Amino acid sequence: MDLFSDGLLKWQDIFRPLTEALGVKPHILVRWFDTNTFFREPELSGRLATPGNPDGVVPDGSVPRPRVTTLPSPYMFSRAAHTDQDRNALMVALAERVLRPAIDAAVAAGAELIHLEDPWLGYVGIAREDWAPLTDALKILHRDLKATLAFHVYFGDAGPHIDQLLKLPVDAIGVDLIQTDIKELGSGWEKGLVAGVINGRSSILESPKSLVDVARHLADTVRPRDLYLSSNCELGYLPTPVAEQKVQRLGETAKAVKQLVSV
Amino acid sequence: MSQVLDHKPLLTHEVGSLDKPGWRVKAYAGKPLDDKDLEEARTWGERLQVPEYKRLIDLLQHAPFTKDQKAELQRWSSLYAVRLEESAGLDVVYDGEQQRTEMYDWAVSHTNGFERRGSVRAFDNKYYTKEAVVGPISLRSPFHNAEFSYLVSVAEAELKIPVTGAYTIADWSFDERNRTPENLLQPAAERARQRHAARRDFVLEVARNMIRPNLEALIKLGARWIQVDEPGASTEADELDLFVDSFNASVEGLNAMFSTHLCFSDYNLFFPAIERMEQCRQFAVGFANYDSRELGTSDEARPGYQVIKKFRDLPYKPALGLGVLDIHSDFIESPELVRDRVLYAVKVFGDPNRIHVTPDCGLRTRSWKVAYEKLRNMTAGVRMARQQLGLPTAD
Repeated sequence: MDLFSDGLLKWQDIFRPLTEALGVKPHILVRWFDTNTFFREPELSGRLATPGNPDGVVPDGSVPRPRVTTLPSPYMFSRAAHTDQDRNALMVALAERVLRPAIDAAVAAGAELIHLEDPWLGYVGIAREDWAPLTDALKILHRDLKATLAFHVYFGDAGPHIDQLLKLPVDAIGVDLIQTDIKELGSGWEKGLVAGVINGRSSILESPKSLVDVARHLADTVRPRDLYLSSNCELGYLPTPVAEQKVQRLGETAKAVKQLVSV
Repeated sequence: MSQVLDHKPLLTHEVGSLDKPGWRVKAYAGKPLDDKDLEEARTWGERLQVPEYKRLIDLLQHAPFTKDQKAELQRWSSLYAVRLEESAGLDVVYDGEQQRTEMYDWAVSHTNGFERRGSVRAFDNKYYTKEAVVGPISLRSPFHNAEFSYLVSVAEAELKIPVTGAYTIADWSFDERNRTPENLLQPAAERARQRHAARRDFVLEVARNMIRPNLEALIKLGARWIQVDEPGASTEADELDLFVDSFNASVEGLNAMFSTHLCFSDYNLFFPAIERMEQCRQFAVGFANYDSRELGTSDEARPGYQVIKKFRDLPYKPALGLGVLDIHSDFIESPELVRDRVLYAVKVFGDPNRIHVTPDCGLRTRSWKVAYEKLRNMTAGVRMARQQLGLPTAD
């Protein structure tokens, strides 16, 4: 691995440390897309509170550096919340008042990659008029950021959204390659590609050799500015021993790919 | 053919699980019991008027326990749970899975073809154990028979027995029958087609080779009402037809009343797929989790129940097991709140015979104290609703 995380093991769901910093009560349990995992709907009705210190997003000192910090994307956060507010206005407010302070805290603690996860866009989709406020929200997160900002779409086919995704003010786009056809990614990316090549929903272990072939293919055809190898989604749907083996294979794959590149 | 049992209007029942008492958990795990555990057994024994409960207290003082004694302790736990539900006034009871490890684990650990893989988070800091199917699925032996036979011998109220459904078993398991990982260089549509075909094959194999033989065994023992638990049913929005096919394959031609339990979903997703589920005579569905806690019987007062109109309009007119207790909260619903939720449902359905009253789901995440108070208020609320509707309030 090149970037390290604590796996968010202490987070009860992807929103919880952030909503706790906001001092809002978790709302009802809601199914997390098509998984057997449930999250507490963030209760964000009324005016967004001023958050306290987002300490919960910073891993403890045992996590090696450089680090990757995963956070909900402002689009997903605003859609998954229970609110009586305009969701696009909420999206921008969340970016400014909740996510940006969390990102700054993470960067100060050694995060070099900020990984915004967005299964909402992959699973549910996005209306045409929502791209502009999403862009505004991401501009807030990207401005003067001393880390790489990645926007990762999963639990769905990113293919139909690629053109719009590549216009977003982020450094890298993440794609769930279990759901997305590589041919749909196009070529000549001016952004990085976070390639979700490890299946976080299946206990069957990937072969590093096959993954190396996929990485080479992506490098040759998509030609992203940077290529990151990752899982297609969180690994929290896998028992720890299975997840550990998958991470191991991801590391073996990355090592083999780097050797190829250095030849 | 699925039967329709002759039930009174606004029948009350539980949905599945109850927490396991500390003395039962510790004794079974071989851990030492303390005075608090004994006091718990004594207090509930007295409160629920469990016959000869002092024999349990005596037994609990003789650790370590043999295998037979542990089985006896499980039966005591079952007896206590049944008495709790009867004491709360439920019309139809079960033991809250006191003899099962848990609804998924118990089923797969008694079935050939599965291997344990480990725990994953369900919500908050609650985890469940997942297994993988690695070979042909077959029933090792019917795994609810001993439980059912015991419950028949002690229950004074009518019994309903829950069985975890095929779709949920498959959805909560990994499929490792074909260990070849996907080739990401293949077209995604082709990979998706292969995934769906394998999934269909898996779910229907569970229905035919695991669930159905178990149902047949229970019916032979006299089970009249079997609840097929399907909390995973709506997990994949594009697989609702498969869920319905698996239910039908599980129960087709069997002679009992079959119902199903659905929870924590966007219930709109089930329509129109469940229009083909004619063998299902009751849908027990959780709604309270989505509802307001304010009183009232208007549409505005009952936001969590708006979808019930769709269940009303199902062509084969099943009953609706109306979830009125939020099982994820210690909030004790007042009888008046239960009453209003019930009255609203009766108003929508226009027929109290099609409304049964239940918690949203199993109560195992609540303490017995909270579960008991919730259930007592539920039956009190139903009595108030019956009174208001001019229905008989006594048995």
